[in-house]
Amino acid sequence: MKRLNQAAAAARRAATWLLPAGRRDWVAAIWAEAHEAPPGLARLAWRAGGAWTLAREALLPRRLGRATLFAAAAGAAAWAAWPHPAVGHAAVSQFHVIATVLLLAGLPLLSRRFFGPPSPSRAGRSLRVFCFAAILALMPALAVVEAFANLTPARPAYRYVFCIAQGWSSLQGCNGVPGRSTGGPAWAGEIPLLLMTIAYLGVILFLTSRRSQVTRGTLAIGTGTGLLFGVVMYAVAPLGLSNDATDPWLPGSKADPLVALAWILLIGGPAAAAALAARRGRGPGGAALPRNVRIGQGIAAGVLANGTAALFVSALGFGTTALMLRSAWLLRWLHHGHQLTAMAAYHYEISAGAGTNVYLFMLIWFPVIGLFMSALGAACTPLGRPAPRELAPIPGASGNH
Amino acid sequence: MTSSPGFSAQTLAVLAALCDEPSQWRHGYPLAKQTGLKSGTLYPILIRLADRGLVEACWQDEPEPGRPRRHLYRLTAAGLASATEALASAARPAATKAARTPAVRGAVVGAVGAAT
Repeated sequence: MKRLNQAAAAARRAATWLLPAGRRDWVAAIWAEAHEAPPGLARLAWRAGGAWTLAREALLPRRLGRATLFAAAAGAAAWAAWPHPAVGHAAVSQFHVIATVLLLAGLPLLSRRFFGPPSPSRAGRSLRVFCFAAILALMPALAVVEAFANLTPARPAYRYVFCIAQGWSSLQGCNGVPGRSTGGPAWAGEIPLLLMTIAYLGVILFLTSRRSQVTRGTLAIGTGTGLLFGVVMYAVAPLGLSNDATDPWLPGSKADPLVALAWILLIGGPAAAAALAARRGRGPGGAALPRNVRIGQGIAAGVLANGTAALFVSALGFGTTALMLRSAWLLRWLHHGHQLTAMAAYHYEISAGAGTNVYLFMLIWFPVIGLFMSALGAACTPLGRPAPRELAPIPGASGNH
Repeated sequence: MTSSPGFSAQTLAVLAALCDEPSQWRHGYPLAKQTGLKSGTLYPILIRLADRGLVEACWQDEPEPGRPRRHLYRLTAAGLASATEALASAARPAATKAARTPAVRGAVVGAVGAAT
């Protein structure tokens, strides 16, 4: 019985860690009070009630529903992304799937501990759902594209195209076994990819937590600007920045008004979002916020704008490319007007597969550009005169007893 | 017990127990014994009442030797007012019904009086 009690106490301590700070005292209180109950079944029943309270507080029904939905989506994404044994470097791909799902499941719990509960605003919830959905969508899409891009074609006629796409200038040096993968994702690429996932999740979880004090208005401005930029960027680069893959439906990276708009939004979007968020940021009850806090709101909006755009265009771009590789119909539709011989189709497919690298570049550099431009935009915004009306209150701290 | 708007029957039982001696700090186990509630029911109620500012909680300053510190509870001023009102309104329909039976009239009036 003593060992059972020790194990129960250890389990309780570990599980209490999942609770928000304001709830941990209560569970400790139930456990402390158990000493008043007579030893034996009565004490065990008292502690069972404590465990029930703990589960109820940690997994409220609504949260349980969200967890079930997440488990279903993550399971489906993992199933779709799980590498075929013939695919090269299957262990790295398997690690990627498992690590991504664990990060998505675990980081919100850690965030709850360090950043407090999530902001109750609709903007915050929507942003989290978008971020999780985009990362889950990226997982199978990335797996499909990587598997195709690394597969040495069986037909010798295609091998020259394949070798060019792989970065070799001729067949010399392109010595993969036909029908087999040339390699696949490597650990050296996997670790930065996971670090990037952690960074995106961490920033989104922080910005949408109560402790960050980022207002609903700032979240809405940043996300809105980012989605606009993301749509424009997707129109410019639906299959990577590859001209031949997107002509004639879309002009790809040729200089045209859409590309000019994308550049304007990349540079000017975060600056404008920062200026707007800094000017409109208000405290509880509409009180004016200190200058440094308003600049912080502006920077958050700018980083969010470019980060959201990068995530949006990457998920859609990788997704479109993966679907195209699996669907001949989509391939024909995207290359409408082209004479699509088997060789030409392979050329478009392998070009698109290689072109998706640009999304990883966007995921890294867009938020950095957003950070610089929003800092500039917020610093240059005159903040002397407060906005005429309240946009949104800063969410308060969680209720502790 | 008839439930009052906003409070379940179990919550009213806890409020009634805390109303017995509103100025005294109470422990969880005696409260559970008094109300007949299990810990898995009592504590969520106390948590919600504390969230609403109706109950205040603190830790015992000096624990008994060999025992962990215990948590203490009592009604706040707002909690006492809410509890009094809720218990009175819960008892009112019962009192009206019981008034038709002279034998129990005195008992009900006494219970309402004790609560208020």
